[in-house]
Amino acid sequence: MASYESDPAVAQARSAKWEAALARNTLPDFVEQRLKDAGERKIPWLSTMTAAELLVTKSHGMRPIATVSGTCWYSYGYSWTEGHGAGWAAALARIRSEALACGANAVVDVHMRTIARNESASMDFTLLGTAVKFDHLPASSDPVIATVSALEFVRLIEMGIVPCGLAVGAQYDWLTYSSDWITISTASVYNQPLTLVGAFWERVRRAAHAELKRNAAKQGTGLLAHTHFGQLLKIEPDDDSQPSRILGRHIVIGTVVDTRRNSAVPHHIRTVVDMRDDESPLNTPTDKRPNTYDSNEQEGGI
Amino acid sequence: MSSTIEVPKSALDRLKGLRGEGHADGIFTSDFSVNEFLLVRKAGFEPIGLCVGSCIYHLGFQLAGWSSNQEMTVLSQAMYEARELAMSRMRAEAADMGADGVVGVRLTVKRLEWDTKILEFVAIGTGVVHAKGHPGFKGPQGQPFTSDLSGQDFWTLLHAGYRPLEMVMGSCVYHVAHQGLFKSLANSGRNVELTNFSQALYDAREIAMERMQEEASKAGAEGVVGVDLHEGSHNWQPHVIEFFAVGTAVLPITTEQDASSIPDPQLVLSVNS
Repeated sequence: MASYESDPAVAQARSAKWEAALARNTLPDFVEQRLKDAGERKIPWLSTMTAAELLVTKSHGMRPIATVSGTCWYSYGYSWTEGHGAGWAAALARIRSEALACGANAVVDVHMRTIARNESASMDFTLLGTAVKFDHLPASSDPVIATVSALEFVRLIEMGIVPCGLAVGAQYDWLTYSSDWITISTASVYNQPLTLVGAFWERVRRAAHAELKRNAAKQGTGLLAHTHFGQLLKIEPDDDSQPSRILGRHIVIGTVVDTRRNSAVPHHIRTVVDMRDDESPLNTPTDKRPNTYDSNEQEGGI
Repeated sequence: MSSTIEVPKSALDRLKGLRGEGHADGIFTSDFSVNEFLLVRKAGFEPIGLCVGSCIYHLGFQLAGWSSNQEMTVLSQAMYEARELAMSRMRAEAADMGADGVVGVRLTVKRLEWDTKILEFVAIGTGVVHAKGHPGFKGPQGQPFTSDLSGQDFWTLLHAGYRPLEMVMGSCVYHVAHQGLFKSLANSGRNVELTNFSQALYDAREIAMERMQEEASKAGAEGVVGVDLHEGSHNWQPHVIEFFAVGTAVLPITTEQDASSIPDPQLVLSVNS
């Protein structure tokens, strides 16, 4: 059985290695070694895949190497919104370096994770997935990070679509006192659109989308945005002489894909009607999106 | 209805960048799932960009008689106008990026916590173009079509020989009369229909549906698919209910397709459930 003894000197050395590695944007040597050994098939592979996913992985000439991850606990000192962008970017860089260390071509089934700890103004940003290697390909110098399951990954690459990364667009802005939203909203009996707040909110959202696009363009040619999170908050001042303000923040996260326009879809699609009345694999909705944010569309119902 | 907000230049630039020559640097954004992306592609379309329109709207005020069944026209108009503004801004974004239409439109309403009379309406969907540049898929007046069908349903609709024209909607906010004390007493211990309640709900749904149908006629549709008729109460007093009808108006692609040419869905029975 593996050793569960704890030697303070070893633990301290380990901790020092983590510290040095994170500061240099590298991996500690023991992680590097483990991943390298996994890549060379000296130790058993670890995979987050289901048995069905293992099957298609095998049938498409891929094999799992290791479960890889990237974690960054990030404190957003001056901006919650930008902190989220930076936190995910750091996690993405780290999972990429782990994939590189084990000689992978891709990491599939990448999930976004976070542990809700309510540490003030900070959060952990973690990406977790399975590094895979194609038997007939050399190791990649820039492994792709696919936030889709192995089943979807295989189907996508068959159609010339490579899910290759994760892009975040996060922006915020402030709107200070204006008669538009204070007097009208409290006193008026008439229907009217609030154009000032509306225009402000559109600006924030557009800035977030523009940033998302810039980040995605560095990695691929398209983006499938799965997570939208927006909040308009009214912030009361500490001191009565100050006007209240509106904080608008918007985060969009998506899977970056690399594909040529008008690529063919080789599969034939057949329409089927499931004859089962109770729950069935064909009609049970599943949410496979790699999500950590609560969608804030709960009031959504049109 | 026209938008009161100019689309800023930076936004236009972003939107235009999408259809650059040869698509060397252009990047598309969308909120499709993987399966939707594949099916939209299979249907012969390419996503080009996320289209969003929003509207923050202040609802006016209206008094309703305690004991009367009546439409709250101020609120009906507000709920309709705000959605229409959000939709038209989304459509303007789509037109600016040269989209033939918008697929998978989701229309949401959110309350703002600091003021119950202010609602935020958002319309979001993915702008698509026909991969071979076929001009025949635009909506009414050469505008991009809009549709709340998912990528999967979009593929299926085209295979059924129809194309989407535009999302049509109808709203009716209705005040349901309270029962008088004598009426309540008279009913106690009896099985009896509360006809004034029946009538109120019936009438409100009918109005919402009629309004939607009228929009579909104006759009030149043959029919409306995926009609959703549902109720909502946006923090209003308990007897005020919104009935909202929404669906995608459709038209046959050329002439109506002969039914025999549409492949029959295969019946399957999954045994691994």
